[in-house]
Amino acid sequence: MLSEERRIESAALSGRAAGRLANPDVRDEFGLETLDMSMGPQHPAMHGLLRLILELDGETVVRCDTVMGYLHRSKEKISENRMYPAVIPITDRIDYMNNIAMEYGYVLAVEKLLDAEIPPRADAIRALMNEFGRIMSHIPSIGFLMLELGAFTPILYAFRERERIQNIFEAVTGARMMFHYIRIGGVKADLPEGIPEQMWNYIEGLEQRLQPDFVDLIEGNEIFIARTRGIGKMTQEKAVEMGLTGVPLRCTGAEFDVRKHYPYGWYKNLDFDVITDTEGDVEASYRVRIGEVKQSIRMIKQILEDLPEGEVMADLGRRIRPAEGDGIGRVESARGEYAVHVVSDGSDTPYRVHYRTPCTVNMQLLQEIVPGHYLPDIMPIMGLIDPVSGAWDK
Amino acid sequence: MVWTVVEYLNYEPWRFLVSFAAVLFLVLNIAGIFTMAERKASAYIQLRYGPNRVGPRGLLQPAADVLKLFSKENLSPNRADLWIFLAAPIAMFIPAAAVWLVMPFAPGAVIVDLNIAILFFVAITSIGALGVIMAGYGSRSAFSLLGALRGAAQMISYEVPLILSLLGVIMLAGSLSLVDVVNAQSGGFWHWYFLPLLPMFVVFYVAGLAEVKRVPFDLPEGESEIVGGYMVEYSGMTWAMIQASEFAMMGLMAAMNVTLFLGGWQPPLDFLDLGAFNWIWFGLKTALLTFTFQWIRWSVPRLRMDQLMDLGWKILVPACLVWLFVVAGAMLVLQGS
Repeated sequence: MLSEERRIESAALSGRAAGRLANPDVRDEFGLETLDMSMGPQHPAMHGLLRLILELDGETVVRCDTVMGYLHRSKEKISENRMYPAVIPITDRIDYMNNIAMEYGYVLAVEKLLDAEIPPRADAIRALMNEFGRIMSHIPSIGFLMLELGAFTPILYAFRERERIQNIFEAVTGARMMFHYIRIGGVKADLPEGIPEQMWNYIEGLEQRLQPDFVDLIEGNEIFIARTRGIGKMTQEKAVEMGLTGVPLRCTGAEFDVRKHYPYGWYKNLDFDVITDTEGDVEASYRVRIGEVKQSIRMIKQILEDLPEGEVMADLGRRIRPAEGDGIGRVESARGEYAVHVVSDGSDTPYRVHYRTPCTVNMQLLQEIVPGHYLPDIMPIMGLIDPVSGAWDK
Repeated sequence: MVWTVVEYLNYEPWRFLVSFAAVLFLVLNIAGIFTMAERKASAYIQLRYGPNRVGPRGLLQPAADVLKLFSKENLSPNRADLWIFLAAPIAMFIPAAAVWLVMPFAPGAVIVDLNIAILFFVAITSIGALGVIMAGYGSRSAFSLLGALRGAAQMISYEVPLILSLLGVIMLAGSLSLVDVVNAQSGGFWHWYFLPLLPMFVVFYVAGLAEVKRVPFDLPEGESEIVGGYMVEYSGMTWAMIQASEFAMMGLMAAMNVTLFLGGWQPPLDFLDLGAFNWIWFGLKTALLTFTFQWIRWSVPRLRMDQLMDLGWKILVPACLVWLFVVAGAMLVLQGS
């Protein structure tokens, strides 16, 4: 016989919702009971490995519990055992859709520890690559949203764009995904010859393609509107209360963007708008993403037009040994505010590194707003949050 | 007594067997051809090449697929109701194949000229819903069960507008026999029923899409939410049977649409009459409609269950009813004068 505690635990693991355990014979006036369903971790729409324990009344979700941790790779602990520069490849693997911002946050934190002076050209290239990274993440997110709504084609259009940006990244950084490009004190290498022109051509092309290939095809579709308007609706107060950042926050009307309000690096010199929407539903989040892609295009053009000359790497010595203290790097990743807290004890490895990924925080949304929606509405709400498995589990 | 081949084939038991084999051959090939067409169409819509390795231009891909599926193990869930689980693909496949028996392919080329062929079509296709419920119930999985319930609700609801749209054709043709319906549409494309019955043609098309569970009505499958729905537990040949029946149903709906509203094997203009080769027209029209199914499949997202029901009961059914009165009134006036 299992103890009562053990029984509850094992039943919870086998997908029984706790409400049923407290009172196993709950039936409504028709003698019907709810259906428990375990969605994931192996599920095509779960953005990686997420498990949802659902309690369904017909198609309506009564309860939605999120179970995270299936992709936990102890990033923070590993970071403590590596020298400062060797942590950068680890941060790459946190949010694998927007790696460059993950590197940027960590490097900013360490540079704050070191009080280092970064060459302006390195700062500009960082911002440039970061904005490319945002486009590379936002456009597939829109594709994934459509995929989850049942339209298969947009994701392939989206990946065409991602592929072309990856080609640029490959030329600049030498890697297609795990770049290891932003280094402490600058960037790995200067832009190769001809690459600024290639970037310019690509951005011009994307500007032309964005309207016909994405906006017209998606917004012009009545089914898309019917499936997303009013779905996952939340108020601005709720969003702020839950600590959301990024697109889920901005689509409720709150104007918060780390790039604007706590500017870092080259963003001080750039002219751009913070895109917000008032609706706070899935459709609004889609509009914010498209708007942000347009802003990124605008920023990339500004950077390319006015790229400073000079070194791309500051001389910080061969071994990085920051003085005791702590440094925080805050960046706006494609999913929200990403902050890294590095504590140094004076040795050449960090004493403690904490990654505040937006996905972990934004994920609270599921428990809060999914109940009351229909089962198929979970997928567009996932598209609203657009989490990445690697980033919420770390 | 020396029998010629024709006499031999006209001997009733043989005729039955041969026509059964012919239909089976046709249905399985249609499934193969449509799989290939679907892959190629989707590939070109999605900026890909599609299968292009097996055989010339990848044309033997369906054969390779079947070979692979044959070699796969038939898995069944531990607690599945095995009889229901294994019978479900058959219950889906038989109705999809059987309706082809009454389909007029060309002048005189119909296996059974039933005088109630339209009723036969309605009756047999509704058995398909049974197969879906069996598959979902037999698999003992929450995902399958949800898919099956969605499938049952959807297929039963959409049968109503489907049948209502058939009434217009029956009224105009004055017959339930498909051969009579096709014959009544002779003499150029302006005699086809899709013109006087345009709303019903649209309703039949949409309801047909829902009946064969294609996007935007593929809720019973819903691969991004209930990961394949009622067929999530199937593998190997049982899965292939379900797929084959889905594709056969798709071809059947297109062919039925052609027969009822687009003149069947009738050529669009009289001088294009090919005589016994009029099946080419039938095939062309069916292929065209099937392509539009695939076009829709790869272009639009999926509806939600409540939106699906709204569309069926609040738009399609009233549209059909209204047009039924319009057609009846017009017939009364025109025949009275």
